[in-house]
Amino acid sequence: MCSRTSGQPSDAGVRPCFFLQTQHAINSIVTQQLWSFCLSRLESELPHQQFATWIKGLQVECAEASDQPALRLFAPNRFVLQWVRERYLRRIGELGEEFHGAPIALELSLADTATKPAAKRDAVADTAAPTATTPAPEARRATARPAARNEDIPNQAEALYEKTRLNPDFTFETLVTGRANDLARAAAMQVAQNPGTSYNPLFIYGGVGLGKTHLVHAIGNSVFQHNPRAVIRYVHVEDYYADVVRAYQQKSFDQFKRYYRSLDLLIIDDIQFFNNKNRTQEEFFHAFNALTEARKQIVITCDTYPKDIQGLEDRLISRFDWGLTVQIEPPELEMRVAILQKKAEVLDVTLGDDVAFLIAKNLRSNVRELEGALNKVVAYARFHGREISLEVAKEALKDLLNAHNRQLSIEHIQKTVADYYKIKIADMHSKKRTRVIARPRQVAMWLAKELTPMSLPAIGDAFGGRDHTTVLHACRTITELRLADNQLNHDVHVLTQVLRG
Amino acid sequence: MRQLLLDIRPDAPPAFDNFILGENAAPLEALRAAVIGAGHVMLWGPRGSGRSHLLRAAINEASAAGRPALHVEADKLDGQFVPAPSTLVAVDDIEGLGADAQIALFNAFNRAREQGLTLLLAAERAPRELELREDLRTRIGQSLVFELKPLDDQTRSHILLTLAQRRGLSIGDDVVQFLLRHGRRDLPSLITTLDALDRASLERKRPVTLPLLRDLMQTGLDI
Repeated sequence: MCSRTSGQPSDAGVRPCFFLQTQHAINSIVTQQLWSFCLSRLESELPHQQFATWIKGLQVECAEASDQPALRLFAPNRFVLQWVRERYLRRIGELGEEFHGAPIALELSLADTATKPAAKRDAVADTAAPTATTPAPEARRATARPAARNEDIPNQAEALYEKTRLNPDFTFETLVTGRANDLARAAAMQVAQNPGTSYNPLFIYGGVGLGKTHLVHAIGNSVFQHNPRAVIRYVHVEDYYADVVRAYQQKSFDQFKRYYRSLDLLIIDDIQFFNNKNRTQEEFFHAFNALTEARKQIVITCDTYPKDIQGLEDRLISRFDWGLTVQIEPPELEMRVAILQKKAEVLDVTLGDDVAFLIAKNLRSNVRELEGALNKVVAYARFHGREISLEVAKEALKDLLNAHNRQLSIEHIQKTVADYYKIKIADMHSKKRTRVIARPRQVAMWLAKELTPMSLPAIGDAFGGRDHTTVLHACRTITELRLADNQLNHDVHVLTQVLRG
Repeated sequence: MRQLLLDIRPDAPPAFDNFILGENAAPLEALRAAVIGAGHVMLWGPRGSGRSHLLRAAINEASAAGRPALHVEADKLDGQFVPAPSTLVAVDDIEGLGADAQIALFNAFNRAREQGLTLLLAAERAPRELELREDLRTRIGQSLVFELKPLDDQTRSHILLTLAQRRGLSIGDDVVQFLLRHGRRDLPSLITTLDALDRASLERKRPVTLPLLRDLMQTGLDI
């Protein structure tokens, strides 16, 4: 057809576009042929199960028109990406070269979902990285050019980032803010902007699954973003402990000490796990002193506030008081909805407010289970090929909602509260009115009112046949006291969390 | 119901293909995805609902595909448990995790992202009702959680009839109903009974009928 249009001015303008389209179609066919060739060869070379598991699920896309033959592959997830890159990519490159008689440009990246166009995929990958100026530390895109061997020279910034052990998904941008974490977030941002000179250490505490880890990773990512040369390390206490043990076994304490004292920012997670690990505490004590003296930043998380940590040396506890101690509280309903919306955004799904409210209303105590529920709804909708709707969400979460709606018994509340305050369950029913017994009893009444649908007279009945006005009085007392008495407020938080599970 | 045509004798090693789906298609799909590292999965349901079969099947599939895979019973797991990178780890009956084992599993969760671990867990009860460390329990709750539904009697009888047919045995619906009412109703037991009936029918040259079954039961067939 091209030859027929020669010499016609009107056609001359059309031709390049037409040509490109044709070229694209040809490229596409060639790519398909190339991939079929690779598939058939790999199928005969690899054990069946390996081929079926790792290779068959890769998607292929025709690369843009270019001089060099190219193959773009997409892996369904990060794990497959890594797995294929390490084990099969080189071979695919060789097969490509064999097919074309020349090296091919081979690219393997992460598919977001099966249906997304490539441009969208790239956009998602970019926003998920902590910063646009530093190279994406997460191996979201792996390129292998067997001819040029580019991939053998690791990017330096990327390598440095690897060493921080930070999770690039946890940033201030992806953190949802609300009353529950406002203060902690402000402090964290302050520290991220002026590491070592604002609050040192920054001690963040709060219940399980409220986002402490997210917040401290966000500090690390932010510091790295501003100063890619900062030596940052996120470490869970259990891993720090393992490091100490290893240093001990390999007699490499000098190296261990040098490393931890060389840091500009040490983030140490779940300090409550230091419990009775004396040698580890000792090491940490010295590292702490060295770092703070050198005005290097330390960030600590814990499930309770410093004075309540069990099995921790006093000299450490007192040092934790040097900086700033901030609490993260359980998120309120609006914040839980916002968290769900944010997670949905990351998963690239549309989540109606009705669905977000359904999940948020039923899962109150921690963010992790909120996320688990959302994952379940998304998986359910995908599996059944349906849009996410209230109906779909209810079906997907049927077991979860049922398990949750099983009523808390008043006996369970009484036992939990009695255990917590180390009093007898019998005291919940007794006539004793001393403060040490009466206060826990009031707390239990308040919890019974908040967490069960029981009427006040029924609650009074369950507490040794008390009048409903006694229950009412107890509830008012606790509500008022919570505003004034931090310890009591803390107790109520903990108990609520324990009971709601 | 397509799966019914496959060999589901109890001595066949657990695989995805010989799992009787019933209402459990979605968890199977999630496990297939977990084998290639999609995300942690937690299965819960009563004994005989197929939890262990599925966990072992996933482990077998992963091994066959070259991925390191490890199946541990919760009570065999201790504080020293540190899986190698990229491992698919299945832990069954996690209610039975000891204090140290719980921390080991907690650590595995924390290291999972960095080390490419995928965790498959199973228990009789839902995560929310497990009496485990709160920090571990919530991590489990963050996984994809599925309740496994035991097969209903209709599916069981269908399976039995199909299996009998494949052995060239003709058994009446009354025999199947009798088995489901009087014997153990989990699938492995039912298949054992079917085997016994098969043998007895050959030996005594009698068709499988209710009287034969009653006879067998009286002579001590343990069903």
